[in-house]
Amino acid sequence: MTRTPKRVAMLAALLALVLFVAACGSSSSDDKGGSVKSSAGQKIPQGKQGGELTVLSAGDVDYMDPGQMYYTFGYMIGYSVNRALYSFKPDNAEKPVPDIAASDPQISADKKTITIKIKQGIKFSPPVNREITTKDIKYAMERVFSANVPNPYATGYFGTIQGAPKAPAKGIPDISGIQTPDDQTLVIKLTQPKAATVAAALVMPLTMPVPPEYAKKFDAKNPSTYNQNVVFTGPYMVKNDASGKLTGWKPAKSIELVRNPNWDKSTDYRPAYLDKIHIDEGNADATVASRRILNGSALVQGDGAPPAPVLKQAATRFKNQLVLVPAGGTRYVAMNTKIKPFDNVNVRKAVVAIFDRNAMRLTRGGPIVGDLAWRYIPPGIPGFDEAGGLNVPDDPKFDFLKNPAGDPAVAKKYMLAAKQDGVPVTADGKYAGKEKLLMIGTNADPGKKSAQVAENQFEKLGFNLNFRIVTQDALYTKFCGVPKANVAICPNVGFFKDFVDPESFINPTFNGEAILPANNTNWPQLDDKAINKAIDDAAILAPGAERSKAFAKIDQDITLLAPAVPWLWDKTPLIESKDVQGVADNYSTVWHLSFTSLK
Amino acid sequence: MATYIVRRLLWMIVLLLVISFLTFLIFQKLPSADPVSLRAGRNATPELRASIKHTFGLDKPFFEQYRIYLAKLVPFDFHKGFKPPDFGYSYQNNVSVKSQILDRLPATAGLSLGGVVVWLLIGIPVGIISAIRRGKLSDRLAMGGALVAISAPVYWLGLVMLYLFSNDIGRIKIFEGAGSYPNTGSLFSDPFSVAPSLFLPWIVLATAFAAIYARFLRGNLLEVMAEDYIRTARAKGLRERTVIFRHGVRSAITPIVTILGLDLGILLGGAILTETVFNIPGIGRLAFDSIQKSDLPTVQGTVIMGAFFIIALNLIVDVLYAFLDPRVRY
Repeated sequence: MTRTPKRVAMLAALLALVLFVAACGSSSSDDKGGSVKSSAGQKIPQGKQGGELTVLSAGDVDYMDPGQMYYTFGYMIGYSVNRALYSFKPDNAEKPVPDIAASDPQISADKKTITIKIKQGIKFSPPVNREITTKDIKYAMERVFSANVPNPYATGYFGTIQGAPKAPAKGIPDISGIQTPDDQTLVIKLTQPKAATVAAALVMPLTMPVPPEYAKKFDAKNPSTYNQNVVFTGPYMVKNDASGKLTGWKPAKSIELVRNPNWDKSTDYRPAYLDKIHIDEGNADATVASRRILNGSALVQGDGAPPAPVLKQAATRFKNQLVLVPAGGTRYVAMNTKIKPFDNVNVRKAVVAIFDRNAMRLTRGGPIVGDLAWRYIPPGIPGFDEAGGLNVPDDPKFDFLKNPAGDPAVAKKYMLAAKQDGVPVTADGKYAGKEKLLMIGTNADPGKKSAQVAENQFEKLGFNLNFRIVTQDALYTKFCGVPKANVAICPNVGFFKDFVDPESFINPTFNGEAILPANNTNWPQLDDKAINKAIDDAAILAPGAERSKAFAKIDQDITLLAPAVPWLWDKTPLIESKDVQGVADNYSTVWHLSFTSLK
Repeated sequence: MATYIVRRLLWMIVLLLVISFLTFLIFQKLPSADPVSLRAGRNATPELRASIKHTFGLDKPFFEQYRIYLAKLVPFDFHKGFKPPDFGYSYQNNVSVKSQILDRLPATAGLSLGGVVVWLLIGIPVGIISAIRRGKLSDRLAMGGALVAISAPVYWLGLVMLYLFSNDIGRIKIFEGAGSYPNTGSLFSDPFSVAPSLFLPWIVLATAFAAIYARFLRGNLLEVMAEDYIRTARAKGLRERTVIFRHGVRSAITPIVTILGLDLGILLGGAILTETVFNIPGIGRLAFDSIQKSDLPTVQGTVIMGAFFIIALNLIVDVLYAFLDPRVRY
């Protein structure tokens, strides 16, 4: 009997505690005004000199070595500490500006020679300390053809240089097609009239100069150890010791960027306001990291995007701390055109027609994360507007793309057309085949959610699926990127730009000649002779209206073959603390550390 | 005793060899992803892939690869004599695996040892009090709380703690939050600046263990307190406190030593979840990152290190047992 009042008292105390915690005041950072900013067309603000910024990232850079660096987060650091021949100002990701180069590349009439003049007065950081010459750029471009410095895009973008080895060479090859008549002049000679593509690719990090007298001893090892001993030409550098060893880089832990004492502001368009930048890695929980940024001080996001719930919160309560950057990429659900029934174009069109692309976009956060895609060349890449822009044309050829919520009637129409081709289809337009089609999705959200939505869409048309989820790396390296794995559906694939040229987008993803036995990015394995030829013909056109129109037509033709379900033209959300004046880099879709400052 | 220790040390070597072989087999034959493809990047040519495969030594037969690996790992060379073990180089960043493990060991050790202290300070008194006050409200509350603590997933608990108590995103801003662990220095070299960033991780790590130890000790102590010699001690007129602590707890606590050794050994191999949620750059996080990226040399290194700690601490605990319990002889 005496226990009852005690129990009631305890329950009351517990309830009070819960209410107390729930009633604790909301964040004082509520931001009620303004709309979410887009970096498209942004004006670069004047910043305040000084201060220290912290970047929160989950992972590490892939490499510090510009000859091997290839991923977005590596670019965020790489383009702050090193300068390529050409690069992009943060407000214009379409037209590169001369960086180490003094002017635009001169292309010969036969499109086989590119001549570049470089600026004077640009120096390497300690311990090299001398002015760069074109021999440093020649060495930088040659070393990536060595087996000791594996570079994934060297052969693809620069393989047409005269003398460029077809396979990784032993030692550093002397490439006859890269010539340095004097210290300020670089001449690149090609075996094919592909100067337009090669010139566009000169923004890539492999054109960042490397001093041969310093780097040769590192490059003699296999793999090269230059990665731990890089020297720099940008406004910042990774802290190093007297021998050049990068003491400021603790792999997967942190990176310390300090000012490069040899950087000459008069040779550079970057203002470099900050005195120090600290990159804090290993922030694996994106929700925690995002909240720290939004509620904290002098913090910005590195790699990765805020998860959908935090993004929603940021878009309502922290509008002034969120910027959306057109990512220059397209996400799609690839169907393997070599596997029945996806070898039939009507079946593929039916799948596209039934697909609820709105639901797919919701898995990543809804309309704020990008526009619904209906083709493959994304906004910002030449050819996008010419191919029709954001909206599906009224042409009946594109009826299967008209309804982003899915159109069962149109889907049924195409399935019944497939039935005429001998595909087993029921009278009500559902697939009647009994086999289980292998679908491989990623195990990490939001990709996992997107894959689950995709599974539902296929099941609406009667497909039986063997749906497996694996890590993102396994998805690309063991399944979707390996044709022999015979994966029928890859729901989590997409392609993002290397540089601003439609060929770099369309060729590796839809040219049948680009299908590889591993690391393949033509995930649908589309191999249409007419498309292949059209791509090869358009590749030799000079940059301009004709080239853009040609690739726009190819984009539409690929779309009409329906090798995939395009569903998102991404906008990358970037978040910052409220005392940061962040400037987004529209090229690499990260914060531009050389333009960002503290308020 | 000496013979026993020597025998156990020899078994340790055999076990480590077996573990190294099994790990090698699993990650070679069933990798989470293809390390060559990861290293080569998208659109890599077959020639580039072949070159990378050769650089990694992955084009050699399986047993040849294992022989080469073992020759570097074993700290003895027939020509050169004793040499430091070499765990190889990371496929991802070409940094020595040994240097990465040694660099991260202080963080894991600080987290684990601190956690041990916290859970012993909580678990043992709670277990004793629960046993003494069996059936009373304090016993029920303690055991109920222990059940909740054991059931709460570590990762979830860590996030809840951050959202409640961290000084950046928490509601009640008391403790240092995720990411506050410094990238240089450790609990052993700089305790006053590092310890505050470990308070929350210690609490999170210790919660489930304290609960397990409390329940375990309570059960043992109840069993021991029913023994005849306890009745005899009381009959001799000893104070209850003396009966409980000198006779009861002394017997009941010896099994705790065994499981403590095992738990500490496991934690020294890396408290993956706690390190991940609080962003502590320890061995657990290194292991997790390397598994994700199919970085075989680093995976092997962390597994062998973890196995070494478990086996070594198991041995230490067994030897200690002989001192604690005179009946135990080897």
